[in-house]
Amino acid sequence: MWILAASLLASLPIPRLTLDGDGDWTIHAKVVYPVSGKPIEDGVVRVDGTKIAAVGKGGGGDLECAAVTPGFVDLAVQIDTGNASVEQTSESVARLSVAGGLDLFSDEWRRVLESGVTTALALPADFDVIGGLGVVLKTGGPTLLAARLVKGDAVLRGAIGSQPSSGNNAPRFVEPQNFYYRRPTTRMAVEWVFRKAFYDTLQGEGADDPEEAANQAVLRRVLAGELPLSIQAKATQDVRTAIYLKEEFKIPYVILDYAVEAWREPELLKRSGVAVVLPPFPPDGRHDDGFVNDSYFLPLDAAAQLHEQGVPFALSAHGQRGAGASLADQAGLAQRGGLPFEAALAAVTLDPARMVGVQARVGSIEVGKDADLVLWSGTPFEPTAHVIGVLLDGKLVLDPRSR
Amino acid sequence: MNAIPMRSLVRTLLCSVALGAFPLAQSDQKLIIEAGRIMTQAGPDIENGRILIEGGRITAIGTQAEVEKPWDALVLGGPKLVAFPGFVEAHTSQGMDRPNENIDVAPFLDIRDSIDPVAYFFEDCLRYGVTTINVQQGGNCVVGGRGMIVRPVGMTVEEMTVRPLFGMKLSTRPKSGKSRATQMQALRFAFDDLRTYLEDLVEKEKDEQGYAKREALFQGRDLEAEKAEGRALANATWKLEGLELIPRGALDERYAPLVELLEGRYTAFIHCNDPLDVDHALELARKHGLLAKTVLVLEDDCWKAAELIAEAGVPAVLEGSLTHVERDPITGVEKETFVPGVLHAKGVRFALSSEDPNTRAPAYQAALAVGGGLDRQTALDAVTKVPAEILGLGNEVGSLEKGKLANVLLFSGDPLSITAWVEHVVIEGKPVYERAKDLRNKHLLEGVQPPNTAPPSKADEEKEFEQGEHSDADKKDAEKDDKGNEKKDDAKDEKKEGGGR
Repeated sequence: MWILAASLLASLPIPRLTLDGDGDWTIHAKVVYPVSGKPIEDGVVRVDGTKIAAVGKGGGGDLECAAVTPGFVDLAVQIDTGNASVEQTSESVARLSVAGGLDLFSDEWRRVLESGVTTALALPADFDVIGGLGVVLKTGGPTLLAARLVKGDAVLRGAIGSQPSSGNNAPRFVEPQNFYYRRPTTRMAVEWVFRKAFYDTLQGEGADDPEEAANQAVLRRVLAGELPLSIQAKATQDVRTAIYLKEEFKIPYVILDYAVEAWREPELLKRSGVAVVLPPFPPDGRHDDGFVNDSYFLPLDAAAQLHEQGVPFALSAHGQRGAGASLADQAGLAQRGGLPFEAALAAVTLDPARMVGVQARVGSIEVGKDADLVLWSGTPFEPTAHVIGVLLDGKLVLDPRSR
Repeated sequence: MNAIPMRSLVRTLLCSVALGAFPLAQSDQKLIIEAGRIMTQAGPDIENGRILIEGGRITAIGTQAEVEKPWDALVLGGPKLVAFPGFVEAHTSQGMDRPNENIDVAPFLDIRDSIDPVAYFFEDCLRYGVTTINVQQGGNCVVGGRGMIVRPVGMTVEEMTVRPLFGMKLSTRPKSGKSRATQMQALRFAFDDLRTYLEDLVEKEKDEQGYAKREALFQGRDLEAEKAEGRALANATWKLEGLELIPRGALDERYAPLVELLEGRYTAFIHCNDPLDVDHALELARKHGLLAKTVLVLEDDCWKAAELIAEAGVPAVLEGSLTHVERDPITGVEKETFVPGVLHAKGVRFALSSEDPNTRAPAYQAALAVGGGLDRQTALDAVTKVPAEILGLGNEVGSLEKGKLANVLLFSGDPLSITAWVEHVVIEGKPVYERAKDLRNKHLLEGVQPPNTAPPSKADEEKEFEQGEHSDADKKDAEKDDKGNEKKDDAKDEKKEGGGR
């Protein structure tokens, strides 16, 4: 029924209808980029309530702009889930969800929303080896998690590399049980904690402890492929370790997040079937000395390389702000590195939505999907263009007319 | 005669004689640049254009039908490329070995001594298409010294020089370790000190002590030759009775540059970090008659003083971020201000600068300015025409016109597009950069390691491991050392023996 309506509407001009409420908009753009289909020149998107009611060709609308894209999906929005959200009693806390630690009153949400990001994956901070469950939520709307939630228990978050052990010191001259001394203290131990958690789950080891049983219940869902495992893996070494763990425990669905150097292991990525979330490119395509001197290196064509190799990937802003740092800017910089426009657009909309399983609601402009739209002053992702309007669930949260 | 004052004298003379730019060494080679579009920045774009360059300057520019291609010219470009004038950097404190001195008031310093021709900054300038750069001391100063205009080409500062001894750096932002009061006091004192010195000089001259002359002779300065240059402070706002008695050559070198600043020989680049610095800077400029040759270097929230700047009619260089973020102290709500938009709306003439490390490329800066709401021409002017005028090089650089220096960029597309790259850079008729040969850029783009910088291959590592500390070379060295020691010992023994006899 919807498909029929959509195909009809796509081919026929849409008659301008009288508006019956605040939530109804007709947006006219020189180009509409639905992502799920070909760009529509001189296109119109009609919003009815919180959903997209029609997409097609046509003139005139309440809101005029140069281009319309779907609202962006950022799989690494980092808002106020700082150190306070790091559980200190254990390094493996799969049972905990970041939902309990989110500050919906943070100013950052508005900033992220006005940059065009309408859906975000919130993750626990990466100081635990297995940090807990992440949630997908809308970046605006009522300050109630229930109202913003798109998907609870969206992924289980883990971290490989030195971050979970950073700041941990081996106990010296004091009792080893001291609260202030956390383990692991090395990269090897991080991997060991990871492996132990999964091994114990397979063996049912320690399941008589109710907390551990709850952890193992989550890990079993990961092993069964019901829950994606998102692993922070920055350096090549981390990427390899994460993939070896996936293969060792036959974890069906793994997302490598902040995978700076995933591009160095194309064969391994393809063999293992992981998805990749790229970190932000440094503004204007140049890597500061920290990047160059460090063992992590992200060339500007990393996204283009992954695209060519057919590795599913998403771009992310990872909480960065300032000129050239928003998620939309990442899509521009990825194009500077050779990624085609369509792929760049998908990498900030439908591809990340698919990676966390929310593509039925967001990620493209299709009839029946959430009315999350970004209105542009020019060609999307060009630095000369600006996000001039944002609709979230049919509500105008950034008004292009006020600019 | 002491060599150092002589060198500085020659430089001073050169500076005063040369009103035009110091040219890059030229050959007779003609160069033709062809582009699908030439964005001249001095009128409408030219489709399928051609530029003829002779002796480092543009001698003809027009469509390919209008401009003939000499048979002996080198040809650069192609139908898909876009030609654009080289970007002009109105003010930077990069490209130096160490940007600042500890001395508060140091007008006598010359940036020439600090510029490092092999600084990575200059290589980057080529990559981004910046062809004219005004290098000044950093903002952490009171009176920082004199700067110079360079081109990012050459292994010596002389080769790089476009205009020596250009501009003087001052700052109304407190230098580190200073309060605002001590900063302003130090600035005032710099000029008060000069006045005292000059009054003293006049007094002594009147007393016919000939002190200044003796001092000049002692320092090895040629008094009579410099006399021909005229009297000190001939054109300055400052009036000091009896100053006409003082020949310029009599001025101590520590004070002479400040006198020259007052005479209008140097453009004053005054660093401002806060809106109140702007007020202080303008007051200083007015008091000493520098307003006509003052440029404000703005950071942070100086845009709040945009009206003051517009009223004073001085140009500005925007050194901070294009978007200023501020949190309301009461409500805690964040407010973002698009700085170029405010400056433009208030009528301030401004240049963008590549000082912000996050947005180094001028093309990217201009593009972001357009994205922020500035019209395209104003944004492009802010990286070409306006900085050229600020540097007094409005007739030399900043646009592609007949007679101007041939500083030409060839972009792979619209310069403001995110996908466009600088493919070629021509400075004064010389092709000096080609992206296809830029190995560092290849590394940044594709992760390809430039030659000689790659970490050792596995084979190399194994070799090293096998050799370890007992490599053949080490063994030879060890033998040598042993022999050397033996010989020495022998010699000692001989001596001992000799002594014994």
